This record gives sequence, C-alpha cells and structure tokens, in this order.
Amino acid sequence: MNTQSAKRYYRKQRKAIVTATSGLLYGGGWSLGYLTSLDTASAVILILAAIIGGYDIAKTAYHEVTNRTLGIKTLVTFAAVGAILIGEYWEAAAVVFLFSLGSYLEGRTMRKTRNALQELLEMTPETATVRRDGKQQEVPAREVEEDEVVIVKPGEKIPVDGDVVDGESAVNQAPVTGESAPVHKADGDEVYAGTVNQEGALEICTTGSGSDTTLERIIRRVEKAQEAQSPTESLIDRFAKYYTPSVIVLAIGAYAVTQNAILSLTLLVIGCPGALVIGPPVSIVSAIGNAARSGVFMKGGEHLERASKIDLVAFDKTGTLTKGETTVADVEGFGTDDGEVLGLAATAEKKSEHHLADAIIDAAHEHSRAATDGGRTVMDESDTNQTARGATMESIPDPDDFEVVFGKGVVAHYDGQEIIVGNRALLDDRGIDVPEAIADYVRGREASGATTVHVVRDGTVIGVIAMRDELREAAPGVVAALQDAGIETVMLTGDNERTAAAVAEEVGIDEYRAELLPEDKQTVIEDLQGDGHVVAMVGDGINDAPSLATADVGIAMGAAGTDTAIETADMALMADDLERIPYAVTLSKATRWNVLENVGLAVLTVIVLLAGVLTSYVTLATGMLVHEASVLAVILNGMRLLRY
Amino acid sequence: MSETTQFRVLDFDCPTCASTVERALSNVEGVESVEVHYTTGRVEINYDDVRADPDTFAQTIENQGYTPQTA
Repeated sequence: MNTQSAKRYYRKQRKAIVTATSGLLYGGGWSLGYLTSLDTASAVILILAAIIGGYDIAKTAYHEVTNRTLGIKTLVTFAAVGAILIGEYWEAAAVVFLFSLGSYLEGRTMRKTRNALQELLEMTPETATVRRDGKQQEVPAREVEEDEVVIVKPGEKIPVDGDVVDGESAVNQAPVTGESAPVHKADGDEVYAGTVNQEGALEICTTGSGSDTTLERIIRRVEKAQEAQSPTESLIDRFAKYYTPSVIVLAIGAYAVTQNAILSLTLLVIGCPGALVIGPPVSIVSAIGNAARSGVFMKGGEHLERASKIDLVAFDKTGTLTKGETTVADVEGFGTDDGEVLGLAATAEKKSEHHLADAIIDAAHEHSRAATDGGRTVMDESDTNQTARGATMESIPDPDDFEVVFGKGVVAHYDGQEIIVGNRALLDDRGIDVPEAIADYVRGREASGATTVHVVRDGTVIGVIAMRDELREAAPGVVAALQDAGIETVMLTGDNERTAAAVAEEVGIDEYRAELLPEDKQTVIEDLQGDGHVVAMVGDGINDAPSLATADVGIAMGAAGTDTAIETADMALMADDLERIPYAVTLSKATRWNVLENVGLAVLTVIVLLAGVLTSYVTLATGMLVHEASVLAVILNGMRLLRY
Repeated sequence: MSETTQFRVLDFDCPTCASTVERALSNVEGVESVEVHYTTGRVEINYDDVRADPDTFAQTIENQGYTPQTA
C-alpha cells in the first residue's frame, strides 16, 4: 500500500480507527487501574482515550456552538470535560468511547437506509451500444443523445429511456415500476433505463439518457418526498429545539441544588434526545424507500401518515378495476340488420373521443375487414350485409353534424337521418319510446355486467350495442385483501345501476355508486368524508383529478413516465398494478406503528434513565450505553420497514 | 448568475449535525440558500457564481467534522 492509498484508507476508516484506538486505550487504562496500583498511569491512559476518541466530537461541538445549534456532541463534550475536571477519568473515557462506538454503528446502519435507493441507480449500465455511421459503438450511457439508436442484447440492462424501434422481448421493469412479471415489448413500446431485457435483442430510439431518465427522475422525487417532514417529525423537531437547552438548564439546576457534579453530568448524557429525533425520520425514510422499490411513489411523510388512517378505498371503475379497454361484445338489431346498426353508430360516433365511441369504431372496422375477408366478425356470423358505412377503414363516413350530450351519448345527422347513440336517459330526454322487448334485452345484457347503448334512427330504436371492459384479474383479490385489513371498499362509475351492480358483484366490492358524472364522484368522496371516513381514491390520474384531489389520499395508477400523475396524486402506482394498493395501505399503517414504537421506546428510555439517575443506579457510562443502545434500537426498528 | 451544486453526506449522526452544516454553509460568501437534509444526507447549495468559490463548500462541510461526497 503506498502513502497515497494509505492516506485514503485512513480517511475512509478514520471513525472506525479512532473508535477502536479509544476503546483499546479505555480497556487498557481500566485494566491497569483495576488490576494494579498504577493509578497515575491508568489515569493518563484513560485521559488519552477520552482525548483521542473525543477530538472529533469536541471539534463538531465547537462548530455546533459557534453556529448556535446545540446537539448531542455538545452535551457529550460537556460531560466528558466535566468528568475529567472532577477526576472521573474512567467515566470520561467510557462516555467518549461508547458514544463513538454508538455513532459509528449508527452511521453504518443509517448509510444502508440512505443508500437503499441509490442502489437502484447503480443498476443502470455505465455504457451503451449505439449505432453511429452504420457501425456499433460502445459509448458512456450518459453521452447517448436523443434519437440515437441503442442496441440491447438479451440479458442486458437497458441503458436509456426510449421507444422500441426493432425487435421483441420480455422486459423486467421491476426497478422502475415494481412489477414482478416481465412485460412484453415490441415496436413502438416505451422502455426505461435500468430495466432488464430478458429475451430478444431490442433496438431502442433514445428519448432520455443520463439524469434525464424515468428512474433518475423517480429517485429524485422519492428523495424529496423522504425529506418532506411528517406532522410527527415536525412536532418532534420543534420539541427537540427546546428540549436540549432545557436539559442543560436542568443539569446546571441539579448541580446548584445538590452540588453533585456526577449527577449533573449524567443528566446531560441521558438527556440527549437522540432516539426521539432519529426514530420517526428513519421509519419514514425506510418506508418511502421500500415503497419506491416496490413501484409505489409516496409523496412524503405527511401523506404516508394520512394513508395510515385510511378506512375506506373508493375505486374508479373504468381503467382502474377494469382494464380500460372497452370492446363491443354484441350488436343486436331490432328490425334492422346488425351490421347496419353498427355502421350507423360508428358514423354518429366518428368524431367523439369517448372510449365507448372508440370501441364502436374499432368494431365497425373489424366487421368491415372480416366481412371483406369472409371471416368471422364480432357479430353473428350469418351477418354478411356490408353496409356502405362500414366498408373500409377510411370509409366510415363523416356525420353531417354531431353533438355530444355530456354523460349520455351523441346526436348526429347523416344522409338526411337523425342518429342517436346513447343511454336510456338520453332517449327519455328526447321522448323516444323504448319497446318492452328492447328494454328487456338491455336489462339482460346489463345484468351480466355489459354497458349498453341504444342506436336510434329518426326517433325509432333500431338496435342495441353491448360493450364490455374486462376486469383486471387482480381486482377481486385486491378488494378482498383490503376488506381483510378492515377497510371498506366503494366503486364509483358512470355506468347504470344494473351494470354497476353486476361488476360490483363480480369484484366482490362492498358498495357501488352508479350513473355518476365526473363531478359527482367528487361529491360522493365529500359525502363519504362527511360520514367520518378517511378516504383513499384510486383512479387513473387524468379524468379523476378532482376526486383524487378531494380524497384524503389520492392514488394514481400507471404513473411511470408521466410526471402529471405524480404531481397530482399523494401516492402513485408506477405500473397499473392494483395489487400494490393493499401493500401501500398496510405499509402506511405499519409505518405509523413503527413511528409510535420508536417514540415510545425513546421516551421510555429517557424516563427509565432519569429514574435510574435520581436513584443513583445509573452512572455516566451506563447512561451513555443505554442511550446509544436506544438510538441503535430505533434505527434498526425503522429499518425493518425496508424489508416490509 | 445563480448556480446549484449538490453533495451527499452519509455520516450525519442526528438532525442537529445537518443544522450545523446548513448554518456553516449559509455563512460562506456568495451562498444564496442551502438545504441540508439529515434523513437523506442531501446537501443542496444555491450560490452566486461570481461571489462564491464552489471549491470551498466541500472544505466547509469537512471543517464541521463530516465527509462530503459529490452527488
């Protein structure tokens, strides 16, 4: 080892070396005093132990005092110097050594907590293979420019954010989204830096590299979230500001009254508010870090603390409990051909941006393709009537005019006909009679969980289109897990009563509220809060923004890569993984308990030590030992949440 | 012009350590604002690049008894 590296090693290990030296001297000095009559030699060695171990502590204490802050190092320095002045060398060396050892161990454990997230960043590869001038080159990942093509072989980690331009593969996205199952990626799909390409080679057009990747952005946000204090932390911080000076006043007061310097110095040592101020932040940092690694972004201690009190979770239906991919299940013509019903509906809906309109238009395209190919269609196979309206992808004709009736449907004119595609409410508004046979058919479809729309031509109902949005496979299990944890569940949907009832039954949800417009969902949340519930709302973060903001805790789904969802929600699931919800709620509750345990342990330690000092059972050294043990105990307890 | 630099300090023992470093850095010439977080060990310094010498920041942190790492 040359001088340079020896210096570097010493600098890195300084705290450990100083603690060990102080400990050895302390042990030597104590043995000498205990086993021999060499009292002076023993005293010198013990003072040396205190000076070597205490130099850094005293230096920081000096800065604390000059910067007008009063911390534990100031108290320890006062106690050690005081002990030497009154001839209690053994106590001075013991206090300094035990404090050094405690803070060394504490530093090591805290470093693990602080590094938990950085490990994710270290998983991103340092280099990337890019195609430049037709050749493959290996370059530092941070230097890859936007729109450059990066090649990632099977088994390699993806070095940049980007879109797949060639190849197909399964990608393990766990570092970014927390999903345990790999996600299939093909042309046009987004991939993230830090994720692992498992199967085939991928060519990726870069959209972000270096610090401009989703993973880095998430980690920066999580760090900010870890720093945002919870109400408990702020309270304890305020308390600690007055507590430490009070301990000094108490120690001086005790000396003035009793003239007992040892008692007064011991009060200084045990009065350090270490475990109390360290406990809550460690619990919260560990919980937020764990959540981030599991694909849940928690916006800060305050939100985490509120989430721990949730007793009701409200779910948006479409896109949350269901996949949000509505498809046409059945088209039924009444006195009109099924294909014509679908074609007319597609024309009327052509300019609508509603997800039901997309499903109808897709089905019309599919039908026209199938009819042209002579293959199967989404409808009755016998239906071969090729309407002009559904002939080709482009040939769904534009309506002559088009009007959206918000929350009810559309009214359009085409080829001299008025076409209405909408729900029963729209037909009632317009005084359109629905024959009993059609109403019966609609009731039947809705009772099976389908969403239906009527197709009306010139005031006559000519058909019904039934659509389905498949449930997410995880939905029933998630609802059951929440119920098991004693949390009520409610589904909010714009669908009618019958469809809502069928879906609610399928999911096993406690309660549902149907036929809601977006603003109604907000009112429902307010009503539930009015009933005394602490409500979490789960939605997709865009059209549910008002209810997400109103709820005590807004949980947005599928937030990886979308900054807006993270901005608006209190909690965000990086993937559309509903199973993270029971985990997030129970983690919040566990964190609350953990904070309470830590505060309880810290307060109990101070009470027991205080009683011990007043009854002379606790000395300076045992006071410091118990104090440091309590600090380590709260850190280790908080760190349990890293593995929750 | 205003610039920002970051450090990471992993050997804070308690929130007071963070306050000590924060106060020391805010007394450095040209420093406009400082955020020091005990929990994550993140130190963020906004400074005037004409008046401040960023090379002194790490030294200031070291002088308080802590080890800065470049973030």
